[in-house]
Amino acid sequence: MPDSQQQVAPGQGISSTAEARCQAWYEAYGRAVYSYVRFHLPSADMAEDVTADTFLKAFRAADRFDESRGHPRTWIFRIAQNTLRDHLRRSRLRRHLPIGSMRDLATDAPSPEERLLWEEQVARLLDGVAMLGPRDREVISLRYGSGLDTAEVAQVLGVREPAVRTRLWRALDRLRAILVEPEQ
Amino acid sequence: MTQLPEHLRDLDRALGAVRFEPRASLGAELLGRFQRGDRADGSGRPGRSWLMGIAAGIALGLACLWLLAPRRGGTVTVDRCCQDLDGGGSDDDGLLVVTERGSRVRSLIVYEDRDGSRSFSPGDIIRFRREGKMVLAGPLEVGARTIELCCLDYDGGGSSDDALVIVGRPPDRISLAAIYERYAAPGEPVQLR
Repeated sequence: MPDSQQQVAPGQGISSTAEARCQAWYEAYGRAVYSYVRFHLPSADMAEDVTADTFLKAFRAADRFDESRGHPRTWIFRIAQNTLRDHLRRSRLRRHLPIGSMRDLATDAPSPEERLLWEEQVARLLDGVAMLGPRDREVISLRYGSGLDTAEVAQVLGVREPAVRTRLWRALDRLRAILVEPEQ
Repeated sequence: MTQLPEHLRDLDRALGAVRFEPRASLGAELLGRFQRGDRADGSGRPGRSWLMGIAAGIALGLACLWLLAPRRGGTVTVDRCCQDLDGGGSDDDGLLVVTERGSRVRSLIVYEDRDGSRSFSPGDIIRFRREGKMVLAGPLEVGARTIELCCLDYDGGGSSDDALVIVGRPPDRISLAAIYERYAAPGEPVQLR
């Protein structure tokens, strides 16, 4: 049995190896998954719930994950995609919910005023993203929310990298049209 | 053709600068939940109705056993922070609910997160507190207004289907706070808890 398949038995005493592995997964991908999810959801609380569900599912299934068959990042992002889909279906969120509080937005803005301006800009961008179709929204959230490069996005989506680039550019074109429209 | 077209570069830069940060304690909290054997909230997936039926049967059996079994604690504590719950205009309030998992509310506290810990801690100001039954903390004041938030798992039942209703006068007076199941059957009265 490879090291990666050590017993992970929730509630029955978890091996320190399994615990360390889960911790390493969260440290490596926690922020990226959260930010990806947050591109789809209007509040930090909702994003936290979906991120928590994603990692609890990953932790519980850790013994079934075979690293020789794929990268853990790809696997975890697929769990995140499914968890997010389930969440959106259950909560019946409206598409154009206004972006709520941005307390979880990371920023280097030196003053409160600049932070506010940045929050408004991000809210506008994400309002635009929310108006896109699901395929466009997904590729933009994976690329910019999670910060994956196009090769990594291709792995998560199970398509070739040139296809991701094409899909991304088209999505950006449509987003740009949405963002420019109200100003005209 | 690997270069991003010129007209999309500003948008690429703007989106590339957007980063959201999860709460710093989330990772440790998740490991703790995993060690305790907590399940993910939304583990059910539609489809395969026969499997769902078997699962539902097992769940029903377990629920019956649970209902018939003598009570030994079985409470769950949910701490949600931070939102504007008192109408003060700042997202600095939290809700702490102790329930018998997914059912009766034992204790409900609305607090102001004074120390910025994003959870209920000794230095926080309690804006409203009740134990067990619903109470009105004094008469409703002129200018009172109702805040309703939906939908999160406020009762620890495992689904994000609970709503929170707060009646109070901004910026910091709260007369009543309760949670309820948001998706009650049509025509069925809503049970405030």
